[in-house]
Amino acid sequence: MDRKGHKPIAAEQETRSPARDTLETTFIVDADVHVHESPTEMAEYATDPWDVALREIGKVDERYLDLPGMSPRAEYRTPFPGGSNRPQIVTSAGAMRAELSQLHVNLAVLFPDHLLFLAMVRDPLFAVELARTYNAWLYERWLTEQPTLKGALVIAPQDPEAGAEDIRRYAGKNEWACVYLPASGVRPLYGHHFYDPIYEAAVETGLPVCIHSVEAVYPTFPFQLEVFQTSMAQHCIAHPFAMMANIVSMIETAVPVRFPDLRIGIMEAGVTWVPFIINRLDKEYLERRREVPLLQDRPSHYIREWYFGTQPIEEPERRGDIVKIFDLFDGSNRAMFASDWPHHDFDHPQYVFGLPFSPEARKNIMGGNAARFFNFDTPNEVTSG
Amino acid sequence: MAKEYPVGRMEDLPEGSHFIVRAANREIGVFKIKGEYHAIPNLCPHQRGPLCSGAMSGTIDYGPHTEWKLSWIHDGEVITCPWHSLEFHVPTGQCIAFPKIRLRKFKVRVADGELRVVV
Repeated sequence: MDRKGHKPIAAEQETRSPARDTLETTFIVDADVHVHESPTEMAEYATDPWDVALREIGKVDERYLDLPGMSPRAEYRTPFPGGSNRPQIVTSAGAMRAELSQLHVNLAVLFPDHLLFLAMVRDPLFAVELARTYNAWLYERWLTEQPTLKGALVIAPQDPEAGAEDIRRYAGKNEWACVYLPASGVRPLYGHHFYDPIYEAAVETGLPVCIHSVEAVYPTFPFQLEVFQTSMAQHCIAHPFAMMANIVSMIETAVPVRFPDLRIGIMEAGVTWVPFIINRLDKEYLERRREVPLLQDRPSHYIREWYFGTQPIEEPERRGDIVKIFDLFDGSNRAMFASDWPHHDFDHPQYVFGLPFSPEARKNIMGGNAARFFNFDTPNEVTSG
Repeated sequence: MAKEYPVGRMEDLPEGSHFIVRAANREIGVFKIKGEYHAIPNLCPHQRGPLCSGAMSGTIDYGPHTEWKLSWIHDGEVITCPWHSLEFHVPTGQCIAFPKIRLRKFKVRVADGELRVVV
């Protein structure tokens, strides 16, 4: 290969924090990590006949985020040898706590693996049962086991009334951090009045909602990604476009006006697109306000109250560029560190910590903003387990 | 001043294998590839992942160096970081994705059947 003539880089000197604080001395909330569902264990919490189906699913060999019956993927990636040999699943609360402690994470919010695809489950009855069963399994096997692990309560978008019922079932249980709205393949988008029961229940119980997508090819905007040849292209588009689509939908139906106490989080789409969509919406509003008379101010007035997970944080060659982009959406006060552990594109907290933020912004991004958003205890009351 | 650190015996490192040792306060991956010994830092320059705990393979490439043919190259010479799948050609230390990134390489000396890394 003609790739010679470049000066070697000492890997040891690559990443240094410019601050005196260290990961060990910083309160870190990880706003997005993933647990691996066991269909067989979930069957113990399922009602007849879904327990039978879950046990059947449990007999099938699975691949990464690919389990027939729960998250079947039309995966056409060519299987050459090599690639990451790291286990990319975590199957118990104890293992998760140990692995997050290696990352110096104090508190973490647990999102699912296979149920990332929940919006694409065809049978609404099964979708509702998967969500309800998962919540019961997570609550008993993970959340009550490890108090530093908080749950994202899954709702099936196929049946918002059932989701609202599940949210109310756990009202007052501080093991839950938020309500999770699966975005991959969801239709209609989350601005639709169809979902109002979920927002009513979330406001009533004081839980924020978090929208989270996953890479998929599906005949619903913006997942018609069969137009691309590679996973690089599909993954590049899937997350941020899903977030932009849902943000635009929620703004056009004025969700933040109709539910002023609803706290909204946007997860796993990076951050560089955030200033774009805010400014684009503001520009459209200027000319077309008559179409959205419920909005009492420009869209940015509302979106600047929302929170954004950092992962997968973009990595420009000039690392200071990220700080400039954060400034464009008040990221110092609105961005929440998220690792996405243990998934393939997780961000180590050292990377985000080492970006050239001010010390105050760094503390906010690594934990303070998430504590405010999820209503977690303050650092002085928290120890990592 | 470079020093030599004994890291194991030749028989500990069969053809196509690698292990991680600690020498001079660093973690170093030591490899035997096509009869040659190589040593690189166990530290990915991306997000400081444990590079040498990854798996060895070849890789796919395409360009003037493959005569403009999609090709499987460097079979058994490429290590993939287990954290984010960044690939490095171990014999040269070259990062496959980023031309400007090349790992530091340490010399490996053999003396009386003993492998010594020079740091």
